[in-house]
Amino acid sequence: MNSAMIHDLVSLLVVAQLAAPALALVAIGIPPVLGRPLREQTTTRLVAASFAVAFVAALIMLAVLAGRGFTPEIVHLGTWFAVGHHEATIDLVADGLSVPYVCFSTGLCLLVNAFARKYLHREPGFTRFFVLLVLFGLGMNLMVLAGSIDVLFAGWEFIGISSMLLIGFFHERANAVQAAVRAFVVYRICDAGILAAGVVIHAAVGSGDFDKLFHGAWPQATCLVPSSMATAIALLLVFGTLGKTAQVPFSGWLPRAMEGPTPSSAIFYGALSIHAGAYVLLRCEPLLDAAPAVGWVLVFIGGATALHASIVGRVQTDLKSMLAYGSMMQAGIIFVEIGLGWRVIPLIHVVSHAILRSLQILRSPSALHDRHALAAALGGPPGAARSLVSLLPEAGQAALYRVALERGYEEMAVMRLVVEPFRRVLTRIDAVERAWIDWLGQRRLQEPLNSLRKSHQERT
Amino acid sequence: MILIMTVPIIIACCVVVAGPLVAAAAAQLPRWRDAPRPPAVAGLLVAFGAAVSIAWTQDGSGATELGSQLGGGSTIHVDGVTATMLPFVAFCLVVVLGTAPRRCLDRRATAWFLVGAAATFALFLTAHPALIVVLATLTALPVWRATRDEPGGRPAARVYAWTMAMSLLCLTIGVVMLLADPPWEQGSGWVGTTGGWIVAMAVLIREGIVPFQFWYPALYAGSPLPMALLATVPQVGSYTAVRLLVGHADGVAGELVTLAHLAPVTAVYGAALALVQRDLRRLIGYLAFSQSALVLAGLAGALPMELAGGLALWIASGLSLTGIGIVAAALEGRAGPLRLDLPQGRFWDAPALAGFFLVFALAGLGLPGTLSFVADDLIVAGSLADHLHSGILVILATVFAGIAVIRGWFGIFGGPTAVDALRHGILLRERIGFAILLATIIGFGIMPGPLVKTLERASAALLQHRHDSLLEVSTVTSGADHP
Repeated sequence: MNSAMIHDLVSLLVVAQLAAPALALVAIGIPPVLGRPLREQTTTRLVAASFAVAFVAALIMLAVLAGRGFTPEIVHLGTWFAVGHHEATIDLVADGLSVPYVCFSTGLCLLVNAFARKYLHREPGFTRFFVLLVLFGLGMNLMVLAGSIDVLFAGWEFIGISSMLLIGFFHERANAVQAAVRAFVVYRICDAGILAAGVVIHAAVGSGDFDKLFHGAWPQATCLVPSSMATAIALLLVFGTLGKTAQVPFSGWLPRAMEGPTPSSAIFYGALSIHAGAYVLLRCEPLLDAAPAVGWVLVFIGGATALHASIVGRVQTDLKSMLAYGSMMQAGIIFVEIGLGWRVIPLIHVVSHAILRSLQILRSPSALHDRHALAAALGGPPGAARSLVSLLPEAGQAALYRVALERGYEEMAVMRLVVEPFRRVLTRIDAVERAWIDWLGQRRLQEPLNSLRKSHQERT
Repeated sequence: MILIMTVPIIIACCVVVAGPLVAAAAAQLPRWRDAPRPPAVAGLLVAFGAAVSIAWTQDGSGATELGSQLGGGSTIHVDGVTATMLPFVAFCLVVVLGTAPRRCLDRRATAWFLVGAAATFALFLTAHPALIVVLATLTALPVWRATRDEPGGRPAARVYAWTMAMSLLCLTIGVVMLLADPPWEQGSGWVGTTGGWIVAMAVLIREGIVPFQFWYPALYAGSPLPMALLATVPQVGSYTAVRLLVGHADGVAGELVTLAHLAPVTAVYGAALALVQRDLRRLIGYLAFSQSALVLAGLAGALPMELAGGLALWIASGLSLTGIGIVAAALEGRAGPLRLDLPQGRFWDAPALAGFFLVFALAGLGLPGTLSFVADDLIVAGSLADHLHSGILVILATVFAGIAVIRGWFGIFGGPTAVDALRHGILLRERIGFAILLATIIGFGIMPGPLVKTLERASAALLQHRHDSLLEVSTVTSGADHP
């Protein structure tokens, strides 16, 4: 095959990666809008087919690209919109980073779909779960294959929204609702970093395309913008990734996110979503090379997160929280690896950790059963591993225990120093505004609400 | 490029205004007295069709005009802004009227709504300053009247009346001063300059820019929701700014810079206060003025990208606000007022409404695949290029607004549901209306190219108008220097 034919084939396969989940989203998302949701079996078959197509396409793409030494193929699907010199292009890239990652992510989505089919059987939100799973799959493929910051941001947002809605899947539980809102707050604050990075990239190179920002193939690509600009963009990207990767000081949402159904916890917080930030940083690694100071920031944040998660995770009393802290710790270590300038090791770490952790989370509902089976096989309960903490003096152990129980005082500090003062100020401003409106309206504006309530009560 | 208006366009303009008025008259007939929705929707659909036909004949780069001119604006003026905004406003109002609960649409309320719609359409067809003043007044009157008729709506009507009176007074005085001494012409003095500032003040009040933001939440709290949408979705203040300030920006540069600075602050303020609201109506009110401020931030910008982004956000936020408003009205029609203090557990009451509400809300806040994503991208990029701090404020506003919306969504739909609670579901007309609105939002989001191109041409035409004004002035100056 000549280069043109390979380019056409890769383009087709890349389009299939996006088209398959998009079509499944339309196929299972539109019938409920029209009041005719599909049967469970049809829903899961459509979702499985879409992920299977994407997975097979990814494997073919991997074989084709491996045969060519992973020379990057840029697939230009056109210009989404353009005003003057500002244009958002739909560029996708198949290279040594995106193709193995998309194989891994679509394969995992396929497996979780198979697990969730039975796990959520007859659950009232069955269709909703699969709509969100396909939306996540689409977002993941968009993000991984993105050849421009605009496409990457679109995928990033889909991941965030599907994650938040799956955390709040059991919306009748107060904890699930609170956890979903908390996660979304963190996501939204950090997403501002990615959005701002995108705008700065547009301003710097006149486009969001990565091939105008970097030169060469991953992982040897070099940065085409000056060091100061690279530092600014890299800092914004690092801030943007802190939320979804649950790094300090934005880590409090992750253990609570386990309120969602187990399959979504496995794929989001054990495997894919938790590593989305690491993927973005690996994709933009030439920026980190051009901005060594940002690398040290990553090392510091990742190290602090790993230490925090390691300490706090030890005192958790439920398995899913413990696994969440385990994920957080590994994500922190991956950040350290990226900050140190390693490229292939973090990628291997992401894939291996994701596979192990998602398996652990998927098995977590049967953990007691597994432990009993293990105890029966061993003829007694398995012994606990000796921890480094036991080397500390007793007073130190007690202090560390208190710190761990309070989750490192991280959330408390954020709440007391940032959230509460901000809320108090807003509430006071709101009270002043209400008083002014009341004075201007000469009667309390609560009355319309009360009269509506009264008329409704009369009707019912 | 100014073209003379052809007869079919004149007829279409007349139909746009006459459609709702005829429908308002028909709604008073005994046959429709108890069910005024069919003639009302038919009248608005006719107006929408005529608006689309006007947009079809307009290429966006030029303008067609008819009638006497005053201060650079003709009686009927159709350009790129009209061609895009008129069908959008008509579409939103059709959806509102088609899906509003029956409780909100008695004979009188429907008639007021249609009269307000006709006045709004007429306003969007003119650039004549005196007519803008008259029609801006006419758009406010039905909303005030319907709010006053609502049980317990008098305080909100009073707040609305005060602010609108202030805005219209400023607009009238400002327009008179602008016409007496146009600041965009050579040799203008302090009268014109002051007039420009007073018109800018009118726009600030009408758009709910800080410190005049209070009427938005008050109106949403006390008015029937369809009337609140009629008052806020078309953004009469933005249109006034486009015709009286943006088109002559070289003469009123200071006013536009002030708007460009105040609008992002307002957007952040509104979105931040939306975070602490305890009922849904007020939350929507705060989000509405936050979004309208973002539109004004785009329109007051100096770059074509910002202008196009402002126009795109005008449409995107209007569609989204319409969606949120009508779903909120549908929910209230089923189970009364919507508090946010504690989770209300309304999901199983009507899961479809929960889905629509979520998508409409996210569609106003930059969800990829919707028009607001495109609009936000253009505004943020333009604002950052124009004034760095404005860009940062715009990003902050989208962050707060997103959090407020999701908090509101979980507040209404999250929480435990009583086992024996009523399950209302969704009506057919609601399903059709919401689905059409959703398809429009997603359609423009996935394929924004043609719309963005039209908006870019409209922005370029507005900027060209400024340039022509400047050229005229410099020609006059050079003529004076070299007789």
